Amino acid sequence: MTGSVSAEMDLTWRYAASAPMRRFLEGVAEGRLEAGRCTGCGRRYLPPRPFCGRCRLAITEWVPVTDRGVLEAWTLVHLPIRDGRSGEMRPSPYGMGLIRLDGADTTLNHYLQLPDGVEPRIGDRVQAVWRPERRGAMDDILHFEVIR
Amino acid sequence: MNPVAVIGTGQTRHTRARDDASQADLVREAASAALTDAGLRPDDLDAVIISNMELFEGRLHPELWVGEAAYATGRPCLKVATGGTSGTSACIAGFHQAGSGAFDLVLVVGFEKHSEGHTQTGMALTDPFWDRAVASGAVGNFALSISQYMAARGVTERQAAQVAVKARHNAARNPHAHLQMPDLTVEQVLESRMLAHPLRMLDMCPQSDGAAAIVVASAGATRDMATPAAWVHAASTRHDQPYLGDLDRRMATMEALRSAAAEAYSKAAIGDPLSDIDVAEIYEPVTYAELAWYEALGFCPEGEAGRLIDEGITSMEGTLPVNPSGGVLSTNPVGASGVIRVAEAAAQLMGRAGEHQVPGAATALATGYGVYAWSDVIVMRSEEP
Ligand SMILES: [Zn+2]
Repeated sequence: MTGSVSAEMDLTWRYAASAPMRRFLEGVAEGRLEAGRCTGCGRRYLPPRPFCGRCRLAITEWVPVTDRGVLEAWTLVHLPIRDGRSGEMRPSPYGMGLIRLDGADTTLNHYLQLPDGVEPRIGDRVQAVWRPERRGAMDDILHFEVIR
Repeated sequence: MNPVAVIGTGQTRHTRARDDASQADLVREAASAALTDAGLRPDDLDAVIISNMELFEGRLHPELWVGEAAYATGRPCLKVATGGTSGTSACIAGFHQAGSGAFDLVLVVGFEKHSEGHTQTGMALTDPFWDRAVASGAVGNFALSISQYMAARGVTERQAAQVAVKARHNAARNPHAHLQMPDLTVEQVLESRMLAHPLRMLDMCPQSDGAAAIVVASAGATRDMATPAAWVHAASTRHDQPYLGDLDRRMATMEALRSAAAEAYSKAAIGDPLSDIDVAEIYEPVTYAELAWYEALGFCPEGEAGRLIDEGITSMEGTLPVNPSGGVLSTNPVGASGVIRVAEAAAQLMGRAGEHQVPGAATALATGYGVYAWSDVIVMRSEEP
């Protein structure tokens, strides 16, 4: 016999951000991006974090990052996916990209807004589009647009 | 570590939904088959290791619910969960246990019953502030990496489709495999539904219900036994940094896999992997990954993975058959998939791989993959180290 059990669960998470992530998210609420820079290897980390996994050193430096960058990878997703934050289904197809923001050495995984008929290219310049009412979360950036 | 060997393997039949069996039934099916293969009784075991990604089933403490099915009652039992590498990590933990002198006979069982839970939801439960809003699951993330890999290496959709065909043709000779498609063609793969550009339905692994088990023995324990043994010559594991954005050009570089392979090859004295290894069971969740891993594992120089598949070098008849079992592309119960790689590699060395046996295989490779950041590389031989 095979049965199914359906239950609606209200899952609310608390989140202790750590000092670097807190400073970062407070910056996001003001439309400002910063990366943590490791004094050992010089790598500029986004998200910022307390330590560099490569050097095993504490990260104490901050460097500014712009909300523009380079598209390092892209895809157009045709599968409908439930948004992990809102719980809503995201209409497909939608674009996604790996973006290296000017001033960071790591890449950011985010949505890509594609004008009709435009196929992105690796190396394209992209610009963040911000939510008008920011609240200090990564989805304060709604998506990135290709600048041609 | 003292020498250790795999002396028995067992697998369930893997399918989309094993409605005839509970999670515990699957675990017992694989565990019992492995014991029979090793010629052992349950009481012979000293310890048990279980591999499972419990967020996928949404049932807490699998080691508790399936422990008795794995003969763990009244003896040491651990659970290992490291994403896609869970199964290979569990096997390596078993090697360490038997190689440390702590135990002589260790049973490692991995299982997943994807049909009972929400794999997509489990995978979306990443860092709530950083990437949960953009968590697109495995498919979107693979597609991103693949766009970089294609640009860097010039592999084509047709070459990826050839990997899909090879896997499903091989699977047709493996009675345990989930997707058995002896007549699949490259054109059918290229015409299958687009999931996330350029990734199509038949480029992806399935989600399977199933379990797999191995019995690991210390060198001392093997002395008393008549069963053939697959000896572990190297077992290396690597973890990289946590956020996917930390890992530069993931598929083209795959630093965790390259680093683990370099160490394992050095320990096992493998100079030229293509000629020194007789059979490989590698963890390829998507067609393009198999091509990328050919390069990361040193089967060919950078940029020549496409040529390997074009020329059939990794087919059953080629120089180095890769995934005679059909691989993860044909069967993927995640917690079991790494154990299946090790079990298949060991069965090849013991001459027990049936219709998909590579004749005379004496050196075998098994790998595990988890979200680009986790890699396991295992080299086994029929000869004792
Ligand atoms: Zn550093």
